[in-house]
Amino acid sequence: MGDTDSVLGRLVGSPRARLAALLAPSGGLLVALLFAPLSFMVAVSFARVSDASRIIWHPTAANYTALVDATPFWSTPFVTSLLLSVGIAAATTVVCLVAAYPVAYALARRDRGRRVVFFLVLLPFFTMYLVRVYSWYLLFGDGGVLNDIATVLGVGPVDAFGFGVPAIVVGLAHAQFPYMLLTLYAGIEAVDFDVLEAARDLGASRRAVFRDVLLPLTLPNVVAGSLFVFVPAFGSFVAPRFLSGSTVLLVGQLIAGRIDSFNIASASAAATVVVVLIAAAFGVAARYTDASAGGDH
Amino acid sequence: MSPRQPDASDADAPADTTSDAGHPHSTVGRRSFLAATGAAASATTLAGCLGGTTGTPTINVLTWEHYARDDVAAAVEDAVDATVNVTKSISSEKMFAGWQAGKDQQFDIAIPNNNYVPKFAAAGLAAPVPVSDLDSYPAIYDFFKNAMDTQLAVDGTPYGVPIRFGYYGYGYDSRAVPDHDPSWSVLFDGIDGVDLSSAVALYDNHFKAMSAAALHLGFRDAFDGDRITLSESQLGAVTDALIDQKQSLLSGYIAGDASFVKGITKGDFHVGHTGRMNVTNMRADGTDWIEMATPTEGALSWFEAAVVSTQTDHPDLAWEVVNEYIAPETGATLAREGHAPSVNPETTAHLSERRTELYGAIDPARLADMIPSKAVANEDAWRAAWERVKTA
Amino acid sequence: MASPSTRSRLLGHALSAWTVAVLAVLWLPLVVIIVLSVAENAATILPFTGVTLAHYQATLQDGALLGSVANSATIATLASVLATAVGVPASVALVRYDVPLSNAFRVAVVLPMVVPGVVLGIGVLISIRTLPGITPGFVPTVLTHAVYGLPFVVLLVSARLAAVDDTLADAARDLGASPLVAFRDVTLPAIAPAVASGFLFAWVRSFEEFVRAYFVSGTTDVLTTEMYALLAYGTAPKLNVIATLVLFVLAVVLAVAMTAGDVVSAVTAGE
Repeated sequence: MGDTDSVLGRLVGSPRARLAALLAPSGGLLVALLFAPLSFMVAVSFARVSDASRIIWHPTAANYTALVDATPFWSTPFVTSLLLSVGIAAATTVVCLVAAYPVAYALARRDRGRRVVFFLVLLPFFTMYLVRVYSWYLLFGDGGVLNDIATVLGVGPVDAFGFGVPAIVVGLAHAQFPYMLLTLYAGIEAVDFDVLEAARDLGASRRAVFRDVLLPLTLPNVVAGSLFVFVPAFGSFVAPRFLSGSTVLLVGQLIAGRIDSFNIASASAAATVVVVLIAAAFGVAARYTDASAGGDH
Repeated sequence: MSPRQPDASDADAPADTTSDAGHPHSTVGRRSFLAATGAAASATTLAGCLGGTTGTPTINVLTWEHYARDDVAAAVEDAVDATVNVTKSISSEKMFAGWQAGKDQQFDIAIPNNNYVPKFAAAGLAAPVPVSDLDSYPAIYDFFKNAMDTQLAVDGTPYGVPIRFGYYGYGYDSRAVPDHDPSWSVLFDGIDGVDLSSAVALYDNHFKAMSAAALHLGFRDAFDGDRITLSESQLGAVTDALIDQKQSLLSGYIAGDASFVKGITKGDFHVGHTGRMNVTNMRADGTDWIEMATPTEGALSWFEAAVVSTQTDHPDLAWEVVNEYIAPETGATLAREGHAPSVNPETTAHLSERRTELYGAIDPARLADMIPSKAVANEDAWRAAWERVKTA
Repeated sequence: MASPSTRSRLLGHALSAWTVAVLAVLWLPLVVIIVLSVAENAATILPFTGVTLAHYQATLQDGALLGSVANSATIATLASVLATAVGVPASVALVRYDVPLSNAFRVAVVLPMVVPGVVLGIGVLISIRTLPGITPGFVPTVLTHAVYGLPFVVLLVSARLAAVDDTLADAARDLGASPLVAFRDVTLPAIAPAVASGFLFAWVRSFEEFVRAYFVSGTTDVLTTEMYALLAYGTAPKLNVIATLVLFVLAVVLAVAMTAGDVVSAVTAGE
C-alpha cells in the first residue's frame, strides 16, 4: 500500500509528517495516560513510602522481596491471591469457551434468527457490569434465589449455590461471554465450509473434522477470545468481592486494598508483577496466533 | 419546608415552640443576627441570587443521611436563622477526601466519625471549637466532654463536637438463633446445640473484625491506653481465630449496615456483626425477629463529631447549627430519625418511653464500659494479618 | 443406529437447545433485576409480596443519583468523542500506510483493553497525586476513559478500512477533489458504520466502567461509583430501578443501531 493512496496523507508534506499528524493524537493519549502512569508505577515499586505517604526515591527491591517473603514462598497473601486469580480466570475462560463455541457455530451456519440472537447477546453485554454482579449476588448465597428454588424443588440448599468461587466464575463468565462469542463467531464465519463438507464426504467423522479442520482453522480466534476473557477476569475486583461474601482476595482486590491503606509502593510492586505476567501471556499468545493466522484470511 | 422566622432580628424571641424554657437563646440569637446582617451586607451578589427577598444565609452540611431528613432540617431551621442545606455522604473517608480536594470551600460543616476529627484538624480543614459559645455543651455526658479534650483535640484544643453515638455488637435472627448469653464467642465458637456453620457475618474491615476477635480471645487490655495495641503473639492468635472462623462459622464479610440488613433478611446468615443503630432501625421498620446483643467482653463504641470549616463565611452561624444538633429538642428529633442516641441526655425529655428505651438515654456507667474507637498502634501489622485471613 | 440425516438433525436441535440455554443464563440476572425493580420486597424474589412503582418514584427523586447519571453520561460522551477523534486517524495511518513499527503501535493501542482496570486506575492515581496542580476528578476520568475506549474504536474502524476499497477515493482525487473532501465524501461514508459502532462501544464501556473511575474520579460522583456505594453501603431498590432504566434505553439504542447499521459485522470484523 503506497502512501499516495491516502486521502488525509496529502494534507501535510512528507510521508513522515503525515504519519505523525495521524498518529500523534492517539500516541500522545497513550503515552500520557497509559505508558507514563505505568512507568511511574514501576518506578514507585522500587521506592520507599514514608509514614506520611511521601515517596522516598531510594532504590530498593524490598517491595518485591516482601511479595514472596514466607516459607514456602507461595504462602504469602500475594502469591496465594495470584494463584487463585489464575485459577478463577482459567475456569472462567473454559466456561466461556464451552458455552460460546456451539453458539458461535450455530450463528455462523444459520441465517435464521441470527440478528435476534445477536441482539439478545449484546444487550446484556451493554448492561452495567455492576448491576449484573448485583443480580448474581441476589441469585447466589445461602438465602439466594437459586437456593430458594432448590429448596422448593426439594433438592435442599446446594453448596455450589452459596457464595464462593463457583459464584465468582459464573459472574465473571457472564460478564465476559460476549467477547468470546463475537471473537469465535468472526473466526467460524470466515471458515470455508466446503472444505469441511469435502472432508465429511471423504468419510471423516464429525469429531475428526472438528478436531483436524475446524478447530485448527479457528484456533487464533479461540486464543484471542480466551485472552479477552482471561485478562479482565484475572484482574477483577467487584465480582469476587460481592460473589464470595468477601471471603476471597484476588490479586486485583489485594492491590486495591494496599492502595486504600496508602501502601503505594507495595501495591505498585504487586501491580508491576501482574502487568509483566499479562504481557508475557500476550507475547506467547501473539506469537501463536500470528504463526497460525496465515491460512485464516 | 418549615416556616422560618421572617426577620433575623426576631431571634431573641423565637416565635415557635422550639424555645424550651431552660435554655436561653439570647446569646446565640444576637450573634446570628450579626452574622446574618453581616452576610447580607457583604454579599450583595448572594442577595441578588436570592432575589433580594431575604438575608438568611445558607449553611451547607456534609454528613450522614439522617441529618437530611425534613424533620431534622426543619427543627434546625426553626431554631437558627439559616437555611440548612444537607448533602448526604456515605462515609467519613469520603467527607475527608472531599474536603481535602477543596470542598471545604463549599461546606460549612462536616460530621464524620470521631476518629476522623484529628485528620481534619491536622489537614487545617477544621476550626477550633468555641466551647463556651455552645449552649448545649454543659448538658452532654461527661464521657463526651472528656473525649473532646482528648481524642478530638490537637495540642489540647478541641476541633470537633460529639453529636450522636452508638456501639458495635452483633445482631441475630431470633427465628434461627435462641436466646443466649451475649458474647463475641458466639461469632467464633457458636452456641452449644445450634448449627451456626456458614451462618455468621463479620464486618469486612480489618479494624472491626480483628477487634471482635481480640475481645473474644480476652485481650481486653489491648484496648486500654491511647492506642489499641496487640502484641505479636496476640496478633497471631487473632489471625488464627479469624481463619478458624472462616473455615467453619463464617458466611461472609459484610461492607456495612446495609449489607447486614440485606444479608440477614435474605437469609445468607443469621448472626452478624453490626451497630446497635442498625438493629434499632430494622425494628423500627417492623422487623420483629431481629435482636441486638451487647457482648459482655466489651463493645467498641463510635460517635459522630461535627467540625466547622476554617473557610466558612459564617463561623458563628455554623457553630450555632452544630449546637442545635445537640440541643434537647432537635437532638431528640435527630435521635428519632436516626435511631441513635444523642450525646445530650436532656433529649430524653422529648422522646417517648419506648423510644427512650430504644435509643434515648444510656446509663453513663455503661458508656464507661465501652471501648472508644481509636487508632491502632501497629496498623501495618494489622493489615498484613487481615490479608492473611482473607487469603487463607 | 440413526441415519446420517437424523443425526445431523439431532445435532442441529442440540445446537439450538444449547443456544437457547446460554441465552437463558445470559438473561436470568436481567430478568431478576427487572422483576425486583417493581417488587414491593426489593431485597429478594421470594417471597413475592406485590408490585409497586414506589422504587421508581424514590429513584427519580434522588437528586444525587440522577446527578451522577448526568456526570457519567457527560464523561462517556466526552471520552468517546475523544477516543473517536484520535482513533480514526490512527486507524487510517495503520491501514493505509506502511507505518514503521506498526505492529508495536497496534499492540500499544490494544493495551488499554488488556491492562487490568485496577492497575491502570492506581497507576493514573498515584501519578496525578504526585504531579502538582492535578487532582483526581472530572478531567482525569474523561481522559482515562478515552484511553479505555480507544482500542474499540481502532479495532472496529481499521477492520472496516481494510475491507473498504480505497480506489474510489483515489478516483475522487483524480477528478480534482481535495484530499479532505475525498475523505469526507468517499471514505468516511464507507467506514461510518464502524466509526459509529466504535463510538457506541467506547460510550457504553465508559458509562459502565467502575474500577478506573473508582480510583481517578475523586469527588466527581459517577453512576458506577454511586452504585458501588449503594451495593456495599446502601439500599437495593434504587439499584434495580436504575439498572432497568439503563437496560431499556440501551435496548432502544442498540435496536436502532442494529437496524440502521450493521453493528454485528462491524463488531465481529475485528478478527
